[in-house]
Amino acid sequence: MNNTLSQPDDAKLSQLLREARPAPPLPPGFQNAVWRRLEKAEPPQEPFSLAGWLDRCAAWLLRQRLAAAGLAVLLLVGALVGVMDGVSLSKQAAQQRYLASVSPMSHTP
Amino acid sequence: MRRSLIIVLSMLLAGAGLGTGAYFAARRVCVQRLAHDADDLEWLRTEFHLSEPELQRARLLHEGYLPKCAEMCARIAAKQQELQAALAAGRGVTPEAERKLAEVAALRTQCQTQMLRHFYEVSQTMPAEQGRRYLAEMQRLTLGFHDQFERSMSGDAPAHHGHH
Repeated sequence: MNNTLSQPDDAKLSQLLREARPAPPLPPGFQNAVWRRLEKAEPPQEPFSLAGWLDRCAAWLLRQRLAAAGLAVLLLVGALVGVMDGVSLSKQAAQQRYLASVSPMSHTP
Repeated sequence: MRRSLIIVLSMLLAGAGLGTGAYFAARRVCVQRLAHDADDLEWLRTEFHLSEPELQRARLLHEGYLPKCAEMCARIAAKQQELQAALAAGRGVTPEAERKLAEVAALRTQCQTQMLRHFYEVSQTMPAEQGRRYLAEMQRLTLGFHDQFERSMSGDAPAHHGHH
């Protein structure tokens, strides 16, 4: 019964308190900034575990863009090294062909 | 952990397989494409950056030299057969075998002289710097073997060859 009677007073009191201590308006983007800082904050250091590391590796590898980029890089590197090796081999073969034609006694290193 | 391990290993294997496959495929395509042009003088053209007229002059010299080279090879081969026959008699190094050996050596010297003369002529068809490089390279490739062999016999060879 006391509660019912005191409700209008409580509301009045709250309003008086709010008016007595007005809160300054928050700057624009305040909430976003707080979230960004929370995200940037370093996570607590966990002790190293192989399982955890493997899980993180697997999760990283399973990201489609990263996996595709990694495979593309490997493909390109493999092809590039192959072309360089192929050019070098062809050059050697051409040199041996010329040598064989002019010097049957030749020795190629 | 087991699932992660399988994922990591299979991705690594796939990556290695893809890279290796790309390497061999690219190498093969490259070798096939470049070997397709089976001109004896292709190496001269690319290595010494010869222009078309320079290459034509070198080709003329090359084609003029080939029959002489073939003839010399035939003479050396015939003389070597004679030497083999002299040695096959099983009487040791007879004066006859020694004479054949000297004849083979003389023919080889003649062959090398002719070859070096040809290299000098070809080097004249090139710009001066390329000509010098060509001569040095040809001497290294054709005479270097004998130098290396003689050095190894005289004990001047690198340590890993050991002593004979």
